[in-house]
Amino acid sequence: MSSAITIEGLDKSFGSTRALDELDLDVRTGEVHGFLGPNGAGKTVTIRILLGLLRADSGTAALLGGDPWRDAVELHRRIAYVPGDVNLWPNLSGGETIDLLARLRDGGGRRRGQRAVDRTKRDDLIERLALDPTKKSRTYSKGNRQKVALIAGLSSDAELLLLDEPTSGLDPLMESVFQDCILDATREGRTVLLSSHILAEVEKLCDRVTIIRQGRAVQTGTLADMRHLTRTSITVSTDRPIVGLQDIVGIHDVAVDDGHVRFQVDSSSLDETIRHLSGFGIRSLVSQPPTLEELFLRHYGDELAAANGHGLDSEKVEP
Amino acid sequence: MTGIAVEPTVITMAERAASGKRSSDSSFSGTRRLVWLALRRDRFRIAMWMLGLVGLMAVSAASIVALYITPDDLEGYARTVVGNSALIIQAGPGYGLDNPTLGAIVMNETAQWIFIAVAVMSVFMVVRHTRTEEETERAELVRAAPVGRHAALAAAMIGTLVVNVAIAAGIVVALIAFGLPLAGSVAFGASMVGVGMVFGGVGAVTAQVAIGSRAALAAGGVAVGVAFVLRAIGDVGNGVLSWASPIGWAQSIRAHADERWWVLILPAVATSALVIAARALQDHRDFGSGLVAQTSGRPEASPALSSALGLAVRLQRGTLIGWAVGLGALSFFYGLVADQAEQIIEDNSDMADFFAQLGVGSVTDAFLSTAMLIMALFATGFTVSSVLRLRSEELSGRVDPVLAAPVSRREWASSHLAVALGGSVVLTLVCGVAMGSGAALVMGDGDQVADLAAAGLVMVPAMWVLAGVTLLLHGVRPRWSLAAWAVVAWAFVAAMFGGMLNLPQWALNLSPFQHVPALPAASMAWLPLVDLTVLAIVLIVAGLVALDRRDSA
Repeated sequence: MSSAITIEGLDKSFGSTRALDELDLDVRTGEVHGFLGPNGAGKTVTIRILLGLLRADSGTAALLGGDPWRDAVELHRRIAYVPGDVNLWPNLSGGETIDLLARLRDGGGRRRGQRAVDRTKRDDLIERLALDPTKKSRTYSKGNRQKVALIAGLSSDAELLLLDEPTSGLDPLMESVFQDCILDATREGRTVLLSSHILAEVEKLCDRVTIIRQGRAVQTGTLADMRHLTRTSITVSTDRPIVGLQDIVGIHDVAVDDGHVRFQVDSSSLDETIRHLSGFGIRSLVSQPPTLEELFLRHYGDELAAANGHGLDSEKVEP
Repeated sequence: MTGIAVEPTVITMAERAASGKRSSDSSFSGTRRLVWLALRRDRFRIAMWMLGLVGLMAVSAASIVALYITPDDLEGYARTVVGNSALIIQAGPGYGLDNPTLGAIVMNETAQWIFIAVAVMSVFMVVRHTRTEEETERAELVRAAPVGRHAALAAAMIGTLVVNVAIAAGIVVALIAFGLPLAGSVAFGASMVGVGMVFGGVGAVTAQVAIGSRAALAAGGVAVGVAFVLRAIGDVGNGVLSWASPIGWAQSIRAHADERWWVLILPAVATSALVIAARALQDHRDFGSGLVAQTSGRPEASPALSSALGLAVRLQRGTLIGWAVGLGALSFFYGLVADQAEQIIEDNSDMADFFAQLGVGSVTDAFLSTAMLIMALFATGFTVSSVLRLRSEELSGRVDPVLAAPVSRREWASSHLAVALGGSVVLTLVCGVAMGSGAALVMGDGDQVADLAAAGLVMVPAMWVLAGVTLLLHGVRPRWSLAAWAVVAWAFVAAMFGGMLNLPQWALNLSPFQHVPALPAASMAWLPLVDLTVLAIVLIVAGLVALDRRDSA
């Protein structure tokens, strides 16, 4: 499978602040790739490098087979970008802004054949996202400004969508419209890089996920892969009291509660654990795969701990 | 980082009830902190204004003191100036020149420019800390803290007062240091603060009314222009209209002549009235929007809005029209009074000497060429601010969706640059035709229109050089690009004060306008225009190359 975005060993510093530190990222053609990380992890910097707005210090980045800095203009015919913090021209209406951005992509309407299609899509999106296109941008709320950028991006025929926290200002209703739009986009074979804080959104939309922290990718893979690397929560009740559970390697946090036993088990020990349990006559068993939130917290747990004053982080990258 | 300071005093409900007053949560709560915040955020701007205005006064006073030593020198100056309408328009009625003192000469040479400068500075400062702030999300953070509804307005006015008083204090010290009398120097400082505060008040009102911050600034700028013209007409005529102008009030205090301190009541009353009006108006508008309601726009873009250039034109169109109308009107006015210059010379041999020194034939032509130079310097304000759109577009992030489309940086920068360069041509042409029409009317000489259109157009290459300087600064580092205003200020000083200040020729030559043939007084010279155009092209190319190589802000 070919890659829409390939980033290897990317570094970027601003003065003494290291924003990206040997970042690797691989986004395959046709997938929705989740890009997760806390504030300041380097998600936006990465996207701005991919857009050719910033130049990396070292490392390689390839976007649709081209160099994002050198080939910026050519590449931008094939991509669409939705920023998280949308700032618009105050005296242009939403409709004017959407049309302007679409025409800039078209190169001033040179590809007229395509325009009619975009037009229906544009009007459809305006209706679905409930935007009043006649209002001047100065009067739009954050959510409405974001809708303008989303409509401009999604109504394009771009092969690759770079979305930087595109729904941070949307209400839950619009959020679900957005998810439908992304699913439509994947059906059309487009590739999406979705930077997001909304883990439910990422869980629902993304085929693969990269978690980044302090400018470095700490984990990448499918959600299934990641879950495999982590623990499953199990609640079980049996005919006879369970013994010897502690002896199994990879069992954690055992708690007995009103005849139920709860614990967490590493995915690698799941098979052994279930065989052990069946010896006690299983009456009921509930197994919960780890949520993305748990995955996320596992990677940032030490940061939380550090914030609470008892951090154990030994190989902390310079801030 | 500047934290948003919240009043640290914690007052319990009981204490508040006991004290019997609710001063701590009035609509002005937090004003003191906001004043400090404003002064801190503006510290570089304030320093530049202080340096520029106090420096200008100090250098002017120094050179005048050195130049006019004997009573004959003083009389000689007075004879060239008194009753000369053309000069009165620029300098004011010349109080104290009937019995000339050094102080009166210093006032006549510089006061008018200082008044205009502090007026503009004060409008900008008040609007920047009220309406402009509301258009960012910062003001919401501040208002969400226990900060009163009118605190930002009060803080902007107080901050502006502090800056005006500081500049006035600097000027007073400078004037006294060069031996000018204390009373006159203090009177001038007070009159300057008066002008600044009235226009601060004007800014406070336009900030409530206008549709957005740019419109508020523009309205304030128009008010300064109107005040200048009212005063100019009044000074040339019977003086009545001068009393309709805050700049007229300031000169009527007659610093370094027979000081009339009571006139200071006028700016004090006017400022209070404007602030009270602004406060009342603010209560009738919503946060972030003006009293003039935002109308709906088109649901779809017109075909013109299809490219980076189309966007640049759309964004700057209104500004350019505003400048064209304002400068056109001022130019027409200058044209109308052009023939007055000629009448003076007939019975004034000193005037003849004065213009002979300039190496020109006709007094009218000398006046018109000077007037055109002033118009071009004003128009350069548009040229530079137009290029500086690159800065605001980039720092606000509005450029990102444009550059994420298949638009190169070069194409984006060139689009705003095209408006700046083209707008310079439009403005000088409008000024030339308007001034020519005025002159043609009073002199009955239709050739004036074409002659002055040419006099306007020869300014264009010099304006382009400043566009190039601005672009280069922005290309290297967007934070530096505001320094272009220092170059404009220098061009202004060189043009208006260069002769009087005895500045060395190399320093004067740093201003591109110094190389422009002073049509219609001087004869046409093509070579300097070619040189300036080439220099502008080199600067622009260098700016575009630099822009292509750096990170986006």
